[in-house]
Order: sequence, then C-alpha cells, then structure tokens
Amino acid sequence: MSEALLHVSDLEAAYGAVKVLHGIDFTVNVGDISVVLGANGAGKTTTLRAICGQVHTSGSIAFHGAEIIHEATADIVRRGIAHVPQGRGTFPELSVTDNLEAGAFVRKDSEINDDIEKWLEIFPVLGERRGQLAGSLSGGEQQMLAVARAMMSRPRLLLLDEPSLGLAPIIIEDLFGRLAAINADEGMTMLIVEQNANLALAVASHAYVLEAGTIAISGEPEVLSGDEAVRRAYLGY
Amino acid sequence: MTPRTIVEGSALHRRIQGANWSLSILLVAILPFLVAIPLKPSVFGNSYTIGLGNVNEAIAWAVAVLGLNLLTGFNGQLSLGNSFFVGTGAYLTGALVQTYHWSYLSTLVVVIPVCLAIGLIVGVPALRIQGLYLALVTFGLAAVFPTIVKLDQLDRFTNGSNGLNIESKLLPPDWMPIQGTLDAVRKIPLIGDWTGTESFSSRQSEAIYAYFLVVLIAAASFLLARNLVKSRPGRALIAIRDNEIGAEVSGINLSLYKAGAFGASALLSGIAGTMLAIDKGFVSPDDMGINFAIFLVVGLIVGGSANLKGSLIGGFAVIFVRQWATQTKEVPLLGWELNGPYGQMVLGVLLIGLMFAMPGGIAYGLTRIRARIYRVVPDIHHDGATSG
Amino acid sequence: MFLLAVSIDTDPELLLARVLDGLRFGSGYGALALALVMIYKATGVLNFAQGELALLGIYIAWAFSVGWGWPIIVAVILAIFITATLAAGIERTIIRPFDPSNHLPLVIVTLGLFLAINSFVAVTWTTDLKALPSMFPSGNVFAVGVAHLTWSGLGMFITVFAMLGAVTLLLNRTKIGLAFRAVSSNIESAELVGIKVGQTLQFGWALAAAIGTLAGALLVPELQVLDPNVMLSTLVFAFAGAALGGLDSPKGAVIGGILVGLIRNVVVQSVSFIPSELSVGAAVFVILLVLLVKPSGLFGSSKVVRV
Ligand SMILES: Nc1ncnc2c1ncn2[C@@H]1O[C@H](COP(=O)(O)OP(=O)(O)O)[C@@H](O)[C@H]1O
Ligand SMILES: [Mg+2]
Repeated sequence: MSEALLHVSDLEAAYGAVKVLHGIDFTVNVGDISVVLGANGAGKTTTLRAICGQVHTSGSIAFHGAEIIHEATADIVRRGIAHVPQGRGTFPELSVTDNLEAGAFVRKDSEINDDIEKWLEIFPVLGERRGQLAGSLSGGEQQMLAVARAMMSRPRLLLLDEPSLGLAPIIIEDLFGRLAAINADEGMTMLIVEQNANLALAVASHAYVLEAGTIAISGEPEVLSGDEAVRRAYLGY
Repeated sequence: MTPRTIVEGSALHRRIQGANWSLSILLVAILPFLVAIPLKPSVFGNSYTIGLGNVNEAIAWAVAVLGLNLLTGFNGQLSLGNSFFVGTGAYLTGALVQTYHWSYLSTLVVVIPVCLAIGLIVGVPALRIQGLYLALVTFGLAAVFPTIVKLDQLDRFTNGSNGLNIESKLLPPDWMPIQGTLDAVRKIPLIGDWTGTESFSSRQSEAIYAYFLVVLIAAASFLLARNLVKSRPGRALIAIRDNEIGAEVSGINLSLYKAGAFGASALLSGIAGTMLAIDKGFVSPDDMGINFAIFLVVGLIVGGSANLKGSLIGGFAVIFVRQWATQTKEVPLLGWELNGPYGQMVLGVLLIGLMFAMPGGIAYGLTRIRARIYRVVPDIHHDGATSG
Repeated sequence: MFLLAVSIDTDPELLLARVLDGLRFGSGYGALALALVMIYKATGVLNFAQGELALLGIYIAWAFSVGWGWPIIVAVILAIFITATLAAGIERTIIRPFDPSNHLPLVIVTLGLFLAINSFVAVTWTTDLKALPSMFPSGNVFAVGVAHLTWSGLGMFITVFAMLGAVTLLLNRTKIGLAFRAVSSNIESAELVGIKVGQTLQFGWALAAAIGTLAGALLVPELQVLDPNVMLSTLVFAFAGAALGGLDSPKGAVIGGILVGLIRNVVVQSVSFIPSELSVGAAVFVILLVLLVKPSGLFGSSKVVRV
C-alpha cells in the first residue's frame, strides 16, 4: 500500500445556496496519476476548485497529512499544489517566459531561470515562442504552457482540469504522452479530471467516476474500462 | 412570528390598500400646512429648521432620481450625467420666466421636448458605449454643464457664474382657499396645534401653492413612469438590463429602447429642473455640476434601484440627510463642533454604507420588514371563497 | 453669435507659447491619467475618486509646507506616503469586500469616496483660495517673446517621464510588478500560482494614490489656484488622456495626457470659434470620440472592452 498524498473525505461544496458536491471521498497516492471521470456539470471543476480553496466547502481535505480545507488559495499553492484550470487559464497579455516566471511566484530559490529553460526544452514549441504573448498561442500550445507554468512551482501534486478540452485528437494524444512522461521522469503525482475517458484511463493508476456530485464508481482503470455503464457513458462503445 | 398571509384582492387586502391610499392622500394634503411655518425642533442641543421649501425641493429631487432610475435602475445604463438634463430644465424655465416673462408652468412646453431631444441625442452614441465607459462619458457631460452655462454668449439668459435669480413670483390664484384650508386644518385635534395661530404671509402662501404644483407634476411623473415600467416597453427595458444579448435575440430593438430610455430619463430630469426652479426661484451653475449628478446616484441607491417608491424615498433622503447634517453644529455627547459642508460627506458615507449593508436600498428594506408582518399572495382560487 | 468662419492665430511666438503650456499642463494630466490607468489595469474599475485622493494629498502637502513651514519637497514626499497608506487602507476596508469581477458596485463606492473626500477637504481646510508652492526654482530656462519655458515646466515634464520610467521598470522587472500584471491579466489564475490578489490590488491602490498626489503637487502650482474643486476639471482632462492613450497602457496615459494638454492649450485657444471656456467640453469630446472610434485608444490592448 502506497502513501496517500491527498485524502479527501466527505467533501461538500456549494455556490451560494446551490450544493454541487454532496460529500465525496477519494485518495491520490504519491506517484500516481488518479483520474476523475464525469459528464458536463458533474462537479469535476468544482472538486478541483474546492481542493484549491476557491469555493465554499465543508468536509476534510488532507494534503500530506495536513488539513487544508480552510486555507487560502495562495497558502495551498505554497504547500505544493499546482492547478491547471479548465480552459488553460494562461495570462494572455504576458509573454511565455513571464507566464512561466509567474508560475514560480511562490518560489524563493535561485534556480527559477534554469527551470524556465528546462521547461522550454521539454516543450520546444514554447521555446520557439518564448517572447510571444500567451494570448497569441494556439490552444494546444496554451495547454502546454499551462502545464509548464504549473510545474514551475515545483509542486508535489498537479491538478489538471479537462486538459483535452477543445484540442485536436492528435494534440490530445501528444499531451497525454507528455503528462505520462512528466509523471515518470519527475515522479509527479497528478489528479486529472476528464470527460475524454479513453486516454485518461490509459495513463491512470486509479480512477473515479463522478456523477451529479457524488462518486458513483471507483477502481482500477482496467476495471472501469470493463464496466458496462462506464463504457457506454464515457468511452462511447 | 410567522407573517400573516393575505390573499391579493381579498377584502382585507383591499382594506389595507384603501387605508394606505387615504392616509397618503390626507398626509399629502395637510403636510404643507404643518410645515409652512418652519418647524424648529431641537435635538441634543442642535436646532433644526424644516420648512416647506425643503419638502418642495425633496419632491423635485424625487422626480430627478426617478429619471435616473428609469435609465440606470430599470435599463442598466449607469449615467453620471443626469445633472445635465436637470440643469437644462432648470435654466430653460429660469430664462423663459425671467427674460421672456413666461409663467412657470408654461415653460414645460419647451422643457419637455427640448430635454427629450437632448436625451435622445445623448442616447444614440451611448448605444455603442457601454458600462463603465458610459459612466465616464456621462461624467464628462456633468462636468461640462457649468462651463456651458457660464459662456459669455449665453450670459444674457443664464447670468453666468452669478446664477440666475428668477424675480417673477409664483402667485397662487385667487380661487385657492389657502387661508380657509389653514383654518380648517387648525381644527384637527392634536395635529392642528402644530400650525400655530398666525395667518400666512404671502411667502408662505406662495410656498404652499408651489407645493401643490410640484406635487401635481410629481404625481403625473410617477404615474407616467409607473405605466411605462409596467408596459411592454418597460419590460423590454428590464430585459435589456438583465441580458442584453438575450433581449436582442428575442427581437427587442436595442437602439430604440436604449436611446428611448435616455430620452425618457432626460425628460423627467428636465421636469425636475423646472420644479427646482419653481421651488427656489434661483438657479446656479455650480449647483448643477458633478456633485449634483452623484447626489442623484446616492438617491437612487439609498432609495432603491429599479423601484419607483425608492425614487421618492431617495429624493427625500438626499435633501433631508443633507439638511440634517448641515444643520448639526455639534456632535451630541462628544461636543465636537461641526462647520462646513458635512452634508456631502454624510451622503458619500451613506452611499458606501448602503452598498455594503443594503444594496437594494431603503425601499427593499421596507419591503422586507413588511414581509415579516404580512404577506400578500395571489388569489389562486377564483371561486371567491376568500373574498366577501 | 458664433462666427462659423474658422480663423486660426498663426503668430509663431504665440503658438510656441501655447505649445509649451500644452506640454506643461498635459504632462500633469498624463501623470494623473497614469494613476487612473494603474487602477483600471489592475481591477477594471474607473476610480472616480482618484482626483480627490490627489486633492487630499495636495492639501496635506500644503499644510506641511505653508502651514508648518517645512520645505515643499519634504511636504510632498510625506503627503505621498500618507495618501498611499490611506489608499491601502481604503482598499482593504471598503474595496476588497466586494466581488472584484463585478465592477459597477465598486465604481459606485468610488463615487461615495469622491463626495466624502471632497467635503472632508472643504471642511478641514475651508473653501478659501490657497496657493501651493512649486517644487522647482522659479524663472525661465529660455524666453522668446511671449513664449517661455519655465524651470517648473521643464521639471514637471522630466518628473512625469521619470515616473513613467519607474512604473515601467516596476511592472516589468520586479516580482510585485509581475504579480500586478498577472492579476490584471487573469485573477483566478493569479490566485492559482499563489499570488495574493488582495494584497496586489492594495499595492495598486497605494501606488496609484502616490502617483496621483505627485501629479497634483506638480500641477496645482502651475494652475496657481488651490481650492477643493481644483481636481474636478483636472480629472476630466486626465480621463480624456487615459482614454486617448488606452485605459490599460501606462505609456499611453502619459502620452494621451500630453496630447490632451496640447488640445486644450493649442487647438482650443487657437481656433477662434471654440470659446476657450469650453476646454472641458473638448476633453469630453475626446473621450467620446475615442470610445466610439477606437475604445482601446492609441496604445491600449483591445481586451480593454471589459465591462
Ligand atoms: N460559479 C458558479 N455558480 C453557480 N453554479 C455553478 C458555478 N460553477 C458551476 N456551477 C454549477 O455547478 C455544477 C457543477 O459544475 P462544474 O464543477 O463546473 O462541473 P464540470 O466541471 O464537471 O462540468 C453545475 O451544475 C454548474 O452549473
Ligand atoms: Mg468543468
């Protein structure tokens, strides 16, 4: 049994009076890629926003053994959680390198510039466009930038909100390959929420299905792929 | 305590409404006689003067706030320049009465079309300028108004920066039984004692006549606004405010309604300007600048945005809060002396405070309080079981 | 009656004098525009109280210099610190509680501030005319007939560009500057990289108040009057400059302000049928024209249309 990095239990979240998450539990183990599948409106984004303290929540979120549910977003980031939000969330008016530098905002060490070069090498398309404004990049390039920016904080956990959204299939495949590589090379623990189940399950070590704010199914990706209901709802065959 | 439920249209409901209306009309009718000789209450060592002039001014302001309400409250276009329209109305009336010896009321024949036209003209570029940008442009409009009034070329009509003193008196017609009514009011137990025993001076009779004029104009303005808001065009204005694209998609002509809202707003504002000229007999350029425009926003927010009663409350709030603050010369208990334009400071603080505590304004607050006492529900059984 | 025939004064000395005046006043408008742009860039809010915050700073500087006899430079520096601190407090107490993405309530709060600060100044220092001494030596750098470049005019011009340079360096070379640009670009993402958005906006408010106070301290001695209404028309000119330059561009603010100064002193005064009293009207016309034709102004990013 491996060590739990993130342990969420009985998590509820609401926008005003509208409750969106009805007490969900899940765990992300160190070094794993965990995947949360769910249809539009299931509450995937809300789950990630809850972990980062951006919505009103109750329950428990333990990160590395510490309770973080009532902490401010900026402090949660400092603990080592990086979030690639839905729709990339780059800084469109900032250059590629400024985006990466902003990603390292919580760091105080002297290796930030080295890290920028490192990520520009890992994502050569970004290296070629280092001085360009992020807003002028293509969707796929922006997604790479968003991942690289998140990695710039040297997180212990990377959250990704529907990274495949709006990208061409070939780019999605490339992206998931890179995520798998980052997971393998850097030992980066990830929590990916997706509607695109095929690729997500292919890289996952554990998977959950979120339906209308509750965890409906959880298990090994192979088990989920075999599940009749999951296949029909998320895999399309 | 659960609120009592009252069915709309039931006997009880009609009785409450009837009582509300009769009380309001009675109050409107005898109020001027109670304050024509200014009241001078003394509170915590401060003495205050409340006269009919303040009431008349507040009624004029209520109509000005109503004008802003149509545009900003109901149609969602934030205007910081409605002082321009009010000022135009006031100066038109002033110049026509002073220079051309028109009667006060007849100036409305000019004020209404001119202000409507100016509003429409301003409304056309406003179609392409939205939100905060519109606030910016209209803010500029408010800043420009005093400089236009002070132009040498207009001096003949406006008397420049000295302000325009309208010498013509507003004489009540002979058939108005002012003294007779006063005598009658004095016979009302309890209330009658307030009015003292002297008879009215001619100035007080004029103020009473002015009061009934502004009340009539205000009643007509509020009726007009009420009918507009409840009509199809009114619902279109609200739909545009809530979702402009949605409104356009459902076939509402944005240009027509948004420019129309400006026109209607300017029209009411101009009327309010005429009312102010009637009340004060004096118009000054620096009273009609940016501060005036922002006071109107204070009235809108304090009274209640998108709420007709709120405009009435807002107009009175601006005038009486300012009056109260200016006349308070010493902070009770602390003994600090106050001197200077504190009224403006209090209105500024009030605006900020309301944005925090009660963004719906006083009208909304009153509705909430009333909802704790009784609640009116629509009659869903049409069998008449609840009525009669 | 207005004469519709356009006649333009073409006396070169007079023209030079007007250009110099335009540059002088324009750089003051540009400085206040820079303050407006800092707030707009960070928050998307037009701060209608910016001029009044500067007014408060000017009166504080007046109190230190004329009232207590301190050197004017010291007085201005103190006033800058005081208004910056005050603005930081204002941000913390009455701006931050509001949803930053809903601009209308915030603008209304700035209107409340406008009234409150304006009357605070009038109550504290009365409405009597006062004069604020200049920070620069008197006398001319050169004079050609009616045209003369004063030391204060030159000093003002240099100070404003130095201020722009400092702001540009701050935004592009420092960590707080990076945070400021990130917040102005995307608040949610700024939070997600660990930027404390509230503190960053607070810094923006303080910086803007400091810039505004300096702008006022430069401009008021040139206007040669100090009363509680002095910043009203100045604010309109500054808004015109900010709109012309692009509401989210610091460089645009300064250049736009200078252009507005030139319009005020050269165009309005040289063209006979525009009464010179209508210079505020000319500024409003500039605002209107820019917003109709090119809302992003000369240097702004087109994203500016955020309502
Ligand atoms: N800012 C918000 N305010 C109110 N309701 C919201 C907000 N964001 C999301 N919701 C609602 O919460 C539910 C879950 O949304 P979300 O977490 O975005 O789902 P997903 O990411 O799985 O598509 C949806 O019903 C959505 O309408
Ligand atoms: Mg989502």
